Amino acid sequence: MDIDVKDMGKVTIVAPHGDVDMAVADDVRLRLTNLVDRGRACLILDLGAVMYIDSSGLGALVAAMKHARAAGGDIKVCALESDVRSLFEMTRLTTVMSMHATRQEAIAAWG
Amino acid sequence: MSTSAPPHVAHFAMTSEADQLARMRSWLWTQLVGQALPLEDCSAFLVAVGEICNNVIKHAYSGEAGRPIAITLSVFPDRFVVHVDDEGAPYDPRGYTPPDLDAVPESGMGLFLVRSSVDEVTFDSTRPRGTRWTLVKYCARRTDSPPA
Repeated sequence: MDIDVKDMGKVTIVAPHGDVDMAVADDVRLRLTNLVDRGRACLILDLGAVMYIDSSGLGALVAAMKHARAAGGDIKVCALESDVRSLFEMTRLTTVMSMHATRQEAIAAWG
Repeated sequence: MSTSAPPHVAHFAMTSEADQLARMRSWLWTQLVGQALPLEDCSAFLVAVGEICNNVIKHAYSGEAGRPIAITLSVFPDRFVVHVDDEGAPYDPRGYTPPDLDAVPESGMGLFLVRSSVDEVTFDSTRPRGTRWTLVKYCARRTDSPPA
């Protein structure tokens, strides 16, 4: 899967492009957890270019979030399209994950 | 529920590789939009059918590639019906536990999303082979819907 990764100081911005489904969920999880293992645990996940996500994709993000938090960091999620946001709401991830309307808001939230 | 023949029926065949799912979604989206289902209902149906196919790949076929999955969309005046047929291990509802969302699970959310996305979910695992899943969504089609 095409995933843009960009470091901005202590924060790393990760932006997948395309559907996050069963076919790519493991790849997404590995890419995120590898960043954490390399010391980049303060993550922003920009989902603005993701139009579809399934339960495998959500599970991958949850696993990566837990991994980041265990390392003293977190994943702040931003720029969700409405269909993707609906699934976050359905699974109550909006109450668990740090959610932001824009990438700029997510960057500001890291301080 | 009316038992009259649906005015529109479409079929799609795929095999049990995860990289086939995008092709299935593209087909289903085109069909649903073409039948004037409101976009948010199209998205919900896409989620539900995708999750059923995920389960078929993961559980009915245990990840084995090359096994058949057949999808049929039937459009009635008041509802959209999708059948998903596989030839794998029959679905056993005794193995299903609803996810504890408070525990922030990493898996086990598929059927929960299916049930949250459509109005009816049933299955038939008494067939000679595999399982037939039936998903129903009742809806008012857009007023500019194409003629049947």
